Amino acid sequence: MTDRSREPTKTPAPAGVFTLVITGAPYSSQAPQTALHFAKAVLAANHQIDRVFLYGDGVHLASNLTAPPSDELNLSDAWARFLSDQDIPGVACIASALRRGLVNEAEMKRYDLPAANLREPFEIAGLGEWVSSTASESRVVYFHKGN
Amino acid sequence: MSTLIVIDQPPYGSWEGREALDMAFSLAAFDQPVSLLFCGAGVNWLRQGQDAARVQQKSVERNLAAAPIFGVEALLADGQACLRYGLAATDLIEQASITDFGPELTGRFDHVAFAG
Repeated sequence: MTDRSREPTKTPAPAGVFTLVITGAPYSSQAPQTALHFAKAVLAANHQIDRVFLYGDGVHLASNLTAPPSDELNLSDAWARFLSDQDIPGVACIASALRRGLVNEAEMKRYDLPAANLREPFEIAGLGEWVSSTASESRVVYFHKGN
Repeated sequence: MSTLIVIDQPPYGSWEGREALDMAFSLAAFDQPVSLLFCGAGVNWLRQGQDAARVQQKSVERNLAAAPIFGVEALLADGQACLRYGLAATDLIEQASITDFGPELTGRFDHVAFAG
């Protein structure tokens, strides 16, 4: 491990680019809704979001089978519309998604499953997408389920 | 960009720690500097002699022992948490080292990410 304790602290994300990582599931945690509010505030302040990465239980946000009561916010739909309107990539981690029954057409065929349920515009990809953000100048912000 | 991934969950109570470990291995696979810190109940990840067969899980001990081979720079255990769980250095897998979890440690990394 390199000792970086004497180096000056740099301000991350000089260009104001954010990556959002959501690990808390909709309806069992506040993480997806808090992240959506944060994302809207980022754009309102003229900053950018390079991608939204769903990890762990956060992948449930990308399901197209959610059907909450009509007087409640449909978080999956709200996120999908936001990502489409703003042309921001939404990526669900493939390992997290497959464990939790969240699959696209390709994975449905690969594992001979009876259905696919990935909501557009979400995509399924590997952790390399997250590594790419971590290794870049983006400021990576995590939205966990909390205690 | 160096990353410290902090695991504060016990090894067999949730999947969050395992998925955090996957994050660490993924960074290492892409040649990004990464270390793991275990604190709170998470220090039990580093305990020697784990047998997870009776809960139909794979022992995390073997995964962790292989972490340095895959490029994870350090497996760190928070000293206060080790005291709380009665773990001496000799109780931990040999790749682990005990440290103080505080701003001096986290300040050495560009990113600090928590598991779940």
